[in-house]
Amino acid sequence: MDVTMEDVVGDLEISGCSSSTATSSPSSSSLVDDDMGLYAWNALSPVADWGPFCSDDGGQDLHGLIESMLSDDALVGADPASSLFHQAGPCYSNGSDPSSTTTTNPGTPVYDDPAQAQAECSPEKGLRLLHLLMAAAEALSGPHKSRELARVILVRLKDMVSSTSDAAASNMERLAAHFTDALQGLLDGSHPLSGAGKQAAAMAAAASSSSLHHHHYNASDVLTAFQMLQDMSPYMKFGHFTANQAILEAVAGDRRVHVVDYDLAEGIQWASLMQAMTSRPDGVSPPHLRITAVTRGGGGGARAVQEAGRRLAAFAGSIGQPFSFGHCRLDSDERFRPATVRMVKGETLVANCILHQAAATTTVRRPTGSVASFLTGMAALGAKVVTVVEEEGEASSEKESDEKEEGAAGGFVARFMEELHRYSAVWDSLEAGFPTQSRVRGLVERVILGPNIAGAVSRAYRGGMDGGRGGWGEWMRGSGFKAVPLSCFNHSQARLLLGLFNDGYTVEETRPNKIVLGWKARRLLSASVWAPPPLSVPSSPAEAVFQPIGMAMAPAASGFGRMEFDFIDSFLVEPAYALV
Amino acid sequence: MKAMDYHEPDEQELTTAVTAIADGGGLDWLEDSISLLSADGDLSGSYGWWCDPPLLPAQQDDIGIVVAQTLPPPAALTTTGSPPTSIASPAPASSKKRKSSPASGHSGGGSQRRRAEQERERPAGGGGKKKGGGSDCREARWAEQLLSPCAVAVEARNLSRVQHLFYVLGELASFSSGDANHRLAAYGLRALSLRLPAAVGPAAAAAVRVPALGAECPSSFAAAEPRVFRASLIRFHEVSPWFALPNALANAAIAQQLLQAPGRPLSLVDVGVSHGVQWPTLLESLTRLPAGRAPPSVRLTVVSAAAATRAAPFSASPPGYDFAPHLLRYAKSINLDLHIARAGDLSAQLGEEEALVVVCLQFRLGHVAPEERTEVLRKVRDLKPDLVVLSELDVVVGGGSAGAAGEFSARLELLWRFLESTSAAFKGRDGEDRRLMEAEAGAPAGMITAPASGEGREAWRDRMRAAGFQEAAFGGEAVESARSLLRKYDSGWEMAGAASGAAAVALRWKGQPVSFCSLWRPAPPP
Repeated sequence: MDVTMEDVVGDLEISGCSSSTATSSPSSSSLVDDDMGLYAWNALSPVADWGPFCSDDGGQDLHGLIESMLSDDALVGADPASSLFHQAGPCYSNGSDPSSTTTTNPGTPVYDDPAQAQAECSPEKGLRLLHLLMAAAEALSGPHKSRELARVILVRLKDMVSSTSDAAASNMERLAAHFTDALQGLLDGSHPLSGAGKQAAAMAAAASSSSLHHHHYNASDVLTAFQMLQDMSPYMKFGHFTANQAILEAVAGDRRVHVVDYDLAEGIQWASLMQAMTSRPDGVSPPHLRITAVTRGGGGGARAVQEAGRRLAAFAGSIGQPFSFGHCRLDSDERFRPATVRMVKGETLVANCILHQAAATTTVRRPTGSVASFLTGMAALGAKVVTVVEEEGEASSEKESDEKEEGAAGGFVARFMEELHRYSAVWDSLEAGFPTQSRVRGLVERVILGPNIAGAVSRAYRGGMDGGRGGWGEWMRGSGFKAVPLSCFNHSQARLLLGLFNDGYTVEETRPNKIVLGWKARRLLSASVWAPPPLSVPSSPAEAVFQPIGMAMAPAASGFGRMEFDFIDSFLVEPAYALV
Repeated sequence: MKAMDYHEPDEQELTTAVTAIADGGGLDWLEDSISLLSADGDLSGSYGWWCDPPLLPAQQDDIGIVVAQTLPPPAALTTTGSPPTSIASPAPASSKKRKSSPASGHSGGGSQRRRAEQERERPAGGGGKKKGGGSDCREARWAEQLLSPCAVAVEARNLSRVQHLFYVLGELASFSSGDANHRLAAYGLRALSLRLPAAVGPAAAAAVRVPALGAECPSSFAAAEPRVFRASLIRFHEVSPWFALPNALANAAIAQQLLQAPGRPLSLVDVGVSHGVQWPTLLESLTRLPAGRAPPSVRLTVVSAAAATRAAPFSASPPGYDFAPHLLRYAKSINLDLHIARAGDLSAQLGEEEALVVVCLQFRLGHVAPEERTEVLRKVRDLKPDLVVLSELDVVVGGGSAGAAGEFSARLELLWRFLESTSAAFKGRDGEDRRLMEAEAGAPAGMITAPASGEGREAWRDRMRAAGFQEAAFGGEAVESARSLLRKYDSGWEMAGAASGAAAVALRWKGQPVSFCSLWRPAPPP
């Protein structure tokens, strides 16, 4: 153990030397960030208290609202005599709306009891918001593109969603507010009429970076929000655990592991991996782990990555994980160049590609081609395994054929509504789990989901070129990547993970190498595992078998579950305990 | 106009407008002109005239045009009765003063002229920008981009699409705020919601939620308060040439006709929508005809809205509104022998045999079914008129293959021209007068239930010829005076087709046809 610890320290020092940008002058703010981070983790640990508030009412949810809006059935049974539109007349009315009070009352069915729905008014306002959002998306696309119409609709939308304070705003209003902002970003930043190509892309890029500035949150808020989301939902851990498990299985027996991470964000995923590496029941010492974070050239992204690296190094030191950290930059057009990755002989190379993480902390913007360049680049470097976590579309193959018929422009509305569906399900799931925590949810929404929505809408507008809603799977198969089946351990782990949260989450295996996380019938995220096409000159002999690592030998599911729970919580709780 | 001189600082806009009308009319009726509206309280019967010009500012809110003229108290005037012999007091002292003041140009005071020009330049700048690109113009018309697809969806019975667009329109519609688009959305949405049951069936229509717009929907002419109605009409004539220009053209043509038939009494048949507003200008101009040429008497026959034409927009008037007493008083003040009659029908007797008969068909004939038009024109022909003035909207509605949705789009297009030009006329400001005019223009009667029979200028020409009329040309002076009148309004307005004695004069808004004014005489029997 002593040796290992020294090893760790040594690695950390080397790591510090290798990353020239961060170690030159550790700023005071970064120290504060560290403190804040620990404080936040501590403050947020008593998660269990929220459990009893779980509501499993299936009637009221945003998702259902959207479904109802899009189906003709919504017309049937509506009471024409009712004055549901009582706020609809005055165009710029800014009055208080009774709907704002329904935030903490998730149990109201939308259509089961029309009278009550009327009284609460919230579903009605929700419908109005949805129709306006859809109309704004329509105005930004299609043959009758009208930026002026979009502008007018967005003015009205902002008026409607800002009429109540943030805390009092209903779930739907907050969701609509984020989508309104996302559409406004498209309107301000994109110039679809000025022709395709680099100019438009540059405009979009400029817009998204400016919106990033607009949504600038301090580091402790971001970390807190990530922690919240992690505690409130399986959205983060689902991808992290599945990818980590696949990585662990792929590198079993290797002494040095090098993960190139396309989007490090806060680096929480790697704390989990270290935890797993250091807690092998067979007592084998953990392999050396090196993380290379991919960053965008310039800006504050590199600094944030360095901060995350420092936190990871500190955490590694605390649990005895040999660790080093570095980063590599993307080109100015955000292409990945393999030469920027510092390679060390004898390391097993792993590519990790988490594509749904928060735009607020993400270090890359992922324009068209960036992800593809990363995947092909990592294949060229001889990565042993590639893990991909991405948003999952609904019936993706159908959608794709639809889009081909409609043309790229008309497809935006469909893709936009798809995102609206997706995030309404996310909203529902968070509210169902923690109905009384609207303030906390508000933070998560602002800091993580809002930027995510902006990114998703922007990608939808660009035509889904980053793999489209069909996901990266198709592209990877076409590029020669081979599916690596998920182990049954990995499957069980995902199910156990969902067991920690309230009912409503689902996991399904859509392909042998892919599992999908959903909320009630709605697919949200997928994790898939791939092996790159063999190199023309193999750098290392391919290992045919993926051996499950230690915990897979756990005799019974129950025992494993307890361990798994410890595994999950240890990362969250331990630093807090250390403080006490 | 004397009042203007006294209260110039408070009256600038009013002054401008009055100057504009008078000046542009080229008829120099300015000096002694009086409005039929001078007695604002007449209808309530309390008092009928403003005898004291200094009181005017307090009363001159939007009504604006009130001209100080000392008039006798309203005796019990019958509409058709001959005016009581009482002291007409034309040209009081202030009028003289007005005349004696140094005037730059043939009419209008210097300061008024300057003011008028300033007013003219402001909208010109904005208008120039807007005119730049046609696509920009289209782009700015966002309400139409919702309403037209909605009309298509209604006719296609695509209920979910209708519901979607209803929701969106409901959020953006407003009768009283925002630009013309918000108003177009409101009137268009209301029209479509009324159309819906017929298009999709009552049961299906009942399932569609219609945003409630009724609470703030302004009333149209028939439901207006008479005072507001009158003030709004006047104001609209001041700020928009929509009706003012066709009226001025008609008056100029009538005056011209009189010059060719000196000494004959004039019989005017009013089948129009001016509700009396057109006539003071004409009457005033008669007094300035060369000696011996003025008609010894004028008989005005107002054909009621209920007859001959059904509910044509702008043809209704609120109960209690009667412009006859005002007009009679004014006629007396200028020593004109005026008789006013109401006719329920065109077949009524029109008086003396030797009278010069002028029939004014203005913006009403277009709203009856085509077969009825023929009938109305036959009756007009039977009146043996010396001159027929035909002013109509220059818009084609229906008749094509576009179906009901296309028809709606055409009406929408026209309504847009009205709303946009009216917004420019009121310089974007909302007001009761503006809302009333817009409500009448966007009334369901015009948007939905009117027969699909809007016809363009050419079709009208054919129809008139078939009815036994031949077209006559405007005199150069009439066209020129109309042209200079138009310059007083927003720069988006233009006249077209009036070059070198061409027959009909067209009025356009931002390059798009709005209306035309044409002159006709019975063709000699073959």
